[in-house]
Amino acid sequence: MIDFTLSKKQKDVQDGIRSLGKYVIRPMSLSMDRNKEVPEQFLRNFMRLAKGFRSDDVVDPSEEGAAPRERDPNKPSETNRTSAIAAEELAWADAAMLLSVPGPGLGGPPIRATGTPEQKARFFGVFKDMDKGPLKWGAYALTEPGAGSDVAGIRTSCRKEGNEWVLNGRKCYITNGARASWNVVFATVDPSLGRAGHRAFVVEKGTPGFEIGKIEDKMGLRANETAELVFEDCRVPEENLLGGEAAYVSKEGFMTAMKTFDNTRPLVAAMAVGIGRAAYEYARDFVKDNYVLSRPVPRYAAIAERLARVGRRLEAARSLVYRATYMADAGIPNAKEASMSKAAAGQAATFACIEAIEICGAHGSLATEHALLEKWFRDIKVYDIFEGTGNIQRVVISKRLMTGLKAF
Amino acid sequence: MISFEANEEQTLIQQSVADFAKSTLAPRVRQFEADRVVAADVKAGAHEMGIGLMGLPEACGGQGLGLVTSVLVEEELGAADAAASFGLPGPGAFGRAVLELGTEEQARDWLADFAAEGGETRFGAVAWSESSPCRDRAGFVTTALRSDAGYVINGKKSFVTNAHSADRFLVFAQVEAEKGWGGIGAFLVKKSAPGVVVGARHDTLGLDAADFGEVSFDNVAVTEADRLLGGADFTKATLRFFAKQSLVVAARAVGVARFAFEIAREHCDTRKAFGKPIGHFQAVAFALADRHMDVESARWLVWKAAHAWDAKLPEKEALIATAQATAHALEASMRCADECVGLHGGSGFIRDLIAEKLMRDAKQLALCTPTAEQLDQVSAALDLGIALDPALVLPTPDVQAIFT
Ligand SMILES: Cc1cc2nc3c(=O)[nH]c(=O)nc-3n(C[C@H](O)[C@H](O)[C@H](O)COP(=O)(O)OP(=O)(O)OC[C@H]3O[C@@H](n4cnc5c(N)ncnc54)[C@H](O)[C@@H]3O)c2cc1C
Ligand SMILES: Cc1cc2nc3c(=O)[nH]c(=O)nc-3n(C[C@H](O)[C@H](O)[C@H](O)COP(=O)(O)OP(=O)(O)OC[C@H]3O[C@@H](n4cnc5c(N)ncnc54)[C@H](O)[C@@H]3O)c2cc1C
Repeated sequence: MIDFTLSKKQKDVQDGIRSLGKYVIRPMSLSMDRNKEVPEQFLRNFMRLAKGFRSDDVVDPSEEGAAPRERDPNKPSETNRTSAIAAEELAWADAAMLLSVPGPGLGGPPIRATGTPEQKARFFGVFKDMDKGPLKWGAYALTEPGAGSDVAGIRTSCRKEGNEWVLNGRKCYITNGARASWNVVFATVDPSLGRAGHRAFVVEKGTPGFEIGKIEDKMGLRANETAELVFEDCRVPEENLLGGEAAYVSKEGFMTAMKTFDNTRPLVAAMAVGIGRAAYEYARDFVKDNYVLSRPVPRYAAIAERLARVGRRLEAARSLVYRATYMADAGIPNAKEASMSKAAAGQAATFACIEAIEICGAHGSLATEHALLEKWFRDIKVYDIFEGTGNIQRVVISKRLMTGLKAF
Repeated sequence: MISFEANEEQTLIQQSVADFAKSTLAPRVRQFEADRVVAADVKAGAHEMGIGLMGLPEACGGQGLGLVTSVLVEEELGAADAAASFGLPGPGAFGRAVLELGTEEQARDWLADFAAEGGETRFGAVAWSESSPCRDRAGFVTTALRSDAGYVINGKKSFVTNAHSADRFLVFAQVEAEKGWGGIGAFLVKKSAPGVVVGARHDTLGLDAADFGEVSFDNVAVTEADRLLGGADFTKATLRFFAKQSLVVAARAVGVARFAFEIAREHCDTRKAFGKPIGHFQAVAFALADRHMDVESARWLVWKAAHAWDAKLPEKEALIATAQATAHALEASMRCADECVGLHGGSGFIRDLIAEKLMRDAKQLALCTPTAEQLDQVSAALDLGIALDPALVLPTPDVQAIFT
């Protein structure tokens, strides 16, 4: 049935995270941004509180590799939809905090998709005892100084020596890369082979030859760590080759590691929608409460119009997010739809953050009084860049619209 | 649970209307355009299939299906010929207005014969718009003044869809002058009533097969029984009517957008320039990617709004969803049709191809309902908590006045 209402479970997740976001996370947002850090105690509290709202459907990373959850085959999975709803709410509260939540992060999907059972147990097992022990993260390291969009152009090299792989090269802009217990690192046996030469490794913290380079100072998402990773004759045991040698015999085997974008892009899109919605609501409330020249601001039709435009672009983007996650849950190939959601959301939310400032007028740019608006404006831009830029999403879409289009 | 899957009945209906649209409407689009009317045999066929009767309650002889089914069907019609979707028989906008504003008895009296023998020749029309705003007070120029027997209507309405084909009208007029937009009323009038004069048919930019025209009322007498009171809240009922009607137009716009996108994609896939298909140039491919996003997001927003009404979600939610969906769909269809002409190059401008018609139809569609700008005022006002004024949805130059 065509339906746009949330299931009971999803409503609970949304309500729970929404109030957590409003009363617990949002009040911390500005200080975290200023201090470029999400306090550890805060993350611990958050994780404890969030547990209560976790839908059974959202995979708990620490349980990954354990016995697969029993699922009623007649009850379709809602995981992707529920995750998108949760991601929007958390990003509404604070996007940098969301990216800093302990767990496998973007490193999770490729391991889930390609990892051997042993690898899944080992690398997800790391997150088991965070309640008592230290907090832990995973990360995904693909981008290099010379190759971002052009994934086939990565130069970090790997060669087999005995039962070890030797990695050399640099990765940059890696979310949580420095603090991560392990990074999923992409390297090439031979650049001339393109993607067929790619290998993915799980490189653990402290592996000899693996060093942390620069920690970036960013426009936004300042409370979240973005790191440079340096590999100099870094020796990785062969057990850490993701999926094992067998996975690289056929090209498809490895492509599953890349296909995780089909699941992660809609989530990144959902986060963008969350930030955009934050800006929209802020501008709406500002306009409601403030009087300019003794008239209520909303009496200006042009302002109301701008507000509505922002609102409906976000709603349009959200509809594409729901569509892409619905397809993912139903097991329908969704590469095109995932990219559409990301392209639309990245743009709509950036537009929302810019417009929100303009709608509030000069006030909107006052970092002292309206620091959140200013912060969202800084945070949002990267949502049209990471996980594939807006242009790259359009490349993905175009290839699925045109016959025989390989590249531009 | 969020789901994009039509149920079995809806899929069946959508499929049969799609077949009808492709096999019966599409090949004759240019003929309907030249004749400025949908051919009688096509009207009869549509009536036989019950296309216009789906939303009509069973008590009135219809199928009593919801808005979700309507928007699925209207998209298919719009994707073949948006003009024909206005010109096919059925109670249409008139029916939606009577259902929203009238009693069950009024609905039966005025709508049941659409489903009966000869229904393919029956049309109704909603006479709301006027060619210029009332200068000395808020409200309509057209008045309905009380008389001993009921009311007497005087005035002239413009831009009335189906003005010429309709045999009955729902006329909005000023009942209490001093109350402005709060003092308007709605009346059912037969075309045969003394004093009703159907005036000039407008020559339009697009949607040639649909008729738009003027209707004058010269001392037309109506009884109290033919006044529609709109239940508990007349303004809210009127707004609901406009919302649902605009959603139907939005679904047609999605159809136009989809059709324009599809033929543009097809053309870019095959037309070669500089040694390769033009779709292999990035500027062209990215434009198509953006229009694809337009089509799909517009469709999902329209579905979402239709579902909000069918699921009886809070009215505010349904109204905002409708305003957003319609504004987005109207603009998206214009962007798609515009791009479709552009990507066809010179041939897009020539009438041998359908592209130029789609562009004209898209623009015309956007003016057949509250415009995107007006709808944005509606959703903003609702979200800001500003009191809603019926003038918000009034398709006259007066609209912006309430904000100043
Ligand atoms: C805060 C932050 C966090 C990040 N986190 C991670 C992470 O965790 N892991 C990771 O691996 N990476 C991460 N990245 C890197 C990010 O994914 C890349 O920056 C992004 O993919 C773009 O690559 P690039 O910076 O090399 O830009 P380039 O690829 O050099 O692109 C520059 C411009 O050219 C355009 N362009 C490139 N190719 C084409 C084409 N074929 N057609 C049209 N236009 C094109 C792009 O759209 C862009 O506008 C992060 C980046 C930031 C800023
Ligand atoms: C009313 C009218 C009057 C005209 N008068 C004259 C006249 O007097 N004399 C005359 O010689 N011609 C005339 N023309 C023809 C006109 O100049 C051509 O139609 C125009 O140059 C476009 O060429 P085309 O139709 O072959 O489109 P195409 O070249 O097929 O282009 C189709 C689409 O692909 C795009 N495209 C093509 N190549 C690329 C590329 N490399 N990168 C990105 N996008 C690309 C185009 O922008 C366009 O959107 C007239 C056309 C019209 C409609």
